[in-house]
Amino acid sequence: MAGIGFELRELLRRDSLWGLVRAYAYAGIISSGPWVLSILGVMGIGLLSVGPVPALEVRQFLVSVTYLMAGSLILTGALQLTFTRFIADRLFEKAEGSVLPNLIGALTLTVAAAGALGTLTFLLLWSRASALGSLGPGPWAGGGTVVFRLLLVVTLAALSACWITVVLLSGLKEYRRVMGSFLGGYLVSFGAALALRPFGLSGLLGGFLLGQLLLLFLMLALVVARYPSDRLLSFDFLDRRRAYLSLSATGLLYNFGIWADKLIFWFTPSTSEPVLGPLRASIIYDLPIFLAYLSIVPGMAVFLVRVETDFAEAYDRFFEAVRGGETLAEIRRRRDRLTLAVRRGVGEIFKIQGITVLVLLLAGPRLLDYVGISRLHLQLFSIDLVGVAMQVLMLAVFNVLFYLDERRAVLGLAAAFVAINVVLTIASQQAGPAFYGYGFSLSTTVTSIAGLLITSRKLDRLEMNTFMRAGSTA
Amino acid sequence: MSGSAENAQRRLPRLAPGESADVGLLLEGTYPYVSGGVSSWVHEIITGLPDLSFGVIFLGASPESYGEIRYQLPRNLVHLETHYLMSEPGTSRPIGGGGADADADDADADTFAVADDDGGEGKVRPRRRALSSALAEMIRLHDAFKAPEGGLDPRHLDAASALGGPGGISLREFLSEDEIWARLCNEYDARCPTTSFLDYFWTVRTMHRPLFTLAELARRAPGFRLVHAVSTGYAGFLGALLQRQRGCPFIVTEHGIYTKERKIDLARAAWIRDEETPGDGSLGQELGYLRRLWIRFFEGLGRAAYASARPVVSLYEGNRARQIEDGAAREHTRVIPNGIDITRFAALRAARPAIPPPVLGLVGRVVPIKDIKTFVRAMRTVVAEIPDAQGWIVGPDDEDPRYADECRALARSLGLERAVRFLGFRPAEEVLPQLGLGVLTSISEALPLFVLESFAAGVPVVATDVGSCRALVEGGDAVDRARGVAGAIAPFAAPEALARAAVELLRDPARWRRAAAAAVARVEALYTRDQMFTEYRALYRAAFEEAASHGRDRLRAS
Repeated sequence: MAGIGFELRELLRRDSLWGLVRAYAYAGIISSGPWVLSILGVMGIGLLSVGPVPALEVRQFLVSVTYLMAGSLILTGALQLTFTRFIADRLFEKAEGSVLPNLIGALTLTVAAAGALGTLTFLLLWSRASALGSLGPGPWAGGGTVVFRLLLVVTLAALSACWITVVLLSGLKEYRRVMGSFLGGYLVSFGAALALRPFGLSGLLGGFLLGQLLLLFLMLALVVARYPSDRLLSFDFLDRRRAYLSLSATGLLYNFGIWADKLIFWFTPSTSEPVLGPLRASIIYDLPIFLAYLSIVPGMAVFLVRVETDFAEAYDRFFEAVRGGETLAEIRRRRDRLTLAVRRGVGEIFKIQGITVLVLLLAGPRLLDYVGISRLHLQLFSIDLVGVAMQVLMLAVFNVLFYLDERRAVLGLAAAFVAINVVLTIASQQAGPAFYGYGFSLSTTVTSIAGLLITSRKLDRLEMNTFMRAGSTA
Repeated sequence: MSGSAENAQRRLPRLAPGESADVGLLLEGTYPYVSGGVSSWVHEIITGLPDLSFGVIFLGASPESYGEIRYQLPRNLVHLETHYLMSEPGTSRPIGGGGADADADDADADTFAVADDDGGEGKVRPRRRALSSALAEMIRLHDAFKAPEGGLDPRHLDAASALGGPGGISLREFLSEDEIWARLCNEYDARCPTTSFLDYFWTVRTMHRPLFTLAELARRAPGFRLVHAVSTGYAGFLGALLQRQRGCPFIVTEHGIYTKERKIDLARAAWIRDEETPGDGSLGQELGYLRRLWIRFFEGLGRAAYASARPVVSLYEGNRARQIEDGAAREHTRVIPNGIDITRFAALRAARPAIPPPVLGLVGRVVPIKDIKTFVRAMRTVVAEIPDAQGWIVGPDDEDPRYADECRALARSLGLERAVRFLGFRPAEEVLPQLGLGVLTSISEALPLFVLESFAAGVPVVATDVGSCRALVEGGDAVDRARGVAGAIAPFAAPEALARAAVELLRDPARWRRAAAAAVARVEALYTRDQMFTEYRALYRAAFEEAASHGRDRLRAS
């Protein structure tokens, strides 16, 4: 396996504008493809169903899927990072055989947790919501049929299983295969949902689920083929001596942080409305932010290219120097090069995403008109553009800190991210509609800047931490 | 310390808190876990002075290097503690890297503290200042270690003594503080900027980590009226720390010269990855920086012990001169030779023949340091002169089988299959009566027991001019010389000269008998075990008295 870094370097080495464009386009596709596909796929199902399916049910479908995405991401957040790290550690030990059984173990655990959580939600919230009569309007106001509720639980489990498999494969740098699986999965989701339109809300969700199951099995097939094993099931990743609690907490906080402002808006009566059972949505808040997320493709592409080429190379060369017994001068030289790679990467994200944000700010009014969204959303859309741009930076910083094994630092940053997002989002609601979105955007901005400062300090002290820390834990 | 070591310790004699012993013996890699010359000597001292109580602090490298206790522990050994200096965290390189140390998040528990340093100024400052002053004091000790020659002011040891304790650098600070790192980098940049930094870092770590253990041991050691280190090195340094901390008398006895032996080890050690130095490969200035660092470290430990001990004891004048050269004050050095149990050998004299039997015996292990080959070559000359002469090599040959094979092959190639016999290990009492001469061809010795035993049995000795051999054969001071010559001295690796000296003695029965008489007279006058016990008893008593008078002075002063 040549690896993504190798492919990107090959493209960049051609030293032509065309090579550069292809490298970034490729990086953009593999880094953003899956979630762009999922946003577009779900939106597409919605758009093409209006008519054959009542508009309210389409809306209920979109909101259901949004909740399922949010729920599954937060739920698996506790496992994503620590599981990826566990697998990386096993591969470092050349224990390839433990990949598959532990993945099966992780999936078993995830599916069980998602199933339990989904069922519990129905038993507690859904029935209470029905009893209180605070239901959404329309024929499905009761919260849907039993079949629909079952579909919700199964889809939550399927999505959760997908995320675990995706983070595993991304950790293994199998971006292309992930992208391919998403393409296949969402094509089926799209086709099946449209075919099942006659069955209304349950049909849309059932079709969507079919595609997600295919996606899951495509990815699983890859793992089975790449990492065969003689064991079926293993829960080693839960072993206290090998698990990283801090990574677990970081994953949970990060994913919760991303959804915190949305959840607050959904469950504040003045900014939301009931859509389906206990599920509420905020028309005013949701559309601009999901639209804004589509703008981060260029930033993600730059991030992937930089991390996988310059940074990864400089990182390897630094640790080779340490382990290979180079002189301190050489170690410091390579540290400087690593710092330079980080600085360059951050600079490029700033530049590229900055330009993207500027263009979109200028084109904002016309863009909203084109998509058919009220210009009332313009201000929120603009601030969200900045917020998601800073989220790319935040992601880049977290990644660098993980490379440097500064797990505690990332945990602190993720906690700060959640705290700022929650506090400022609530404050922004008090301050009025003109301030909506500031909570989220300020939280990503502050966290990114704090993260950059910490990264800078960690890089300054890199050789000290590398030596002194290795020595005191032996 | 590992659990198993602790389990083993439960059975060891142990002083309860508040109890004390008369003499604290500080032993490095010897008694009671290893049998051999120094260990036997320690055992004899403890059993020979039954009216004194002894405690032993044993220092080893790591538990794997030592097995069971090899001695029946004497009743007056009331305390034995065992410590391993190289198995503590921070002395060894972690294996692998990157993701391999999946042990925990706790590992970097202080990462955030580091990141937050700028914030918590108020809390951080006072500790910082304490570290700075502790470090400044430590640098003075380093300068003293680096000073090329001469004694070492024991006051400088306070910094080492405080390690891990109040006012000193803590282990945590040593392992993680910025200032320590900065100091380490500065030293590296100034002294060996082309050495592998990884190797330098771990050399410094491994070198310093045991000092924290030693300082802690010194603070926790039970009450001893005096401490007695039976080497310099770590044991001697622990003695120096105890002396400094408690003001108790401190004695050093060296059988060999620890620092010299360490230097020879270090020059060859494969575990030091040094840059290869092009050149003739000769010892000395060609050594890489890390080896020199280690050598200077052990020299420093030695000088610290020499500067603190009263007295510094050696086995013979030659080693005493070496100790003085290495930093011991002449007035504080003295010689107490090893003694043997004369009665065991005196009985053998009755069986001695009047005419020298033409048998030359070498008692010792078949290893290069004993230079067995020179003995074999010498036998060719002896046999040419005295055709029925025999050469016996008495000692185990399994330590260096290749060398033993070479020796046998040499004997064959010289046509000495019948004249030279490898007898393996035999008790001295069985061999000595049959010998005409004892022969010692070693290239390095201190005070060889074999020579003393030969003398006690009335067997003259022909020996190379190593260690105390000349003093043993020809006599030390004028009084001793008057006792006569107990054999002959030959140069190193000179088989012809050795053979001639032997033949002359064997062919002159009168001279041979005079030599035997001188041998008996000398060993009975100077090298008896009782005499050794008497000298150490006197040494200990003087130290106790001195401590008591110091105590009185202090009481009076207060």
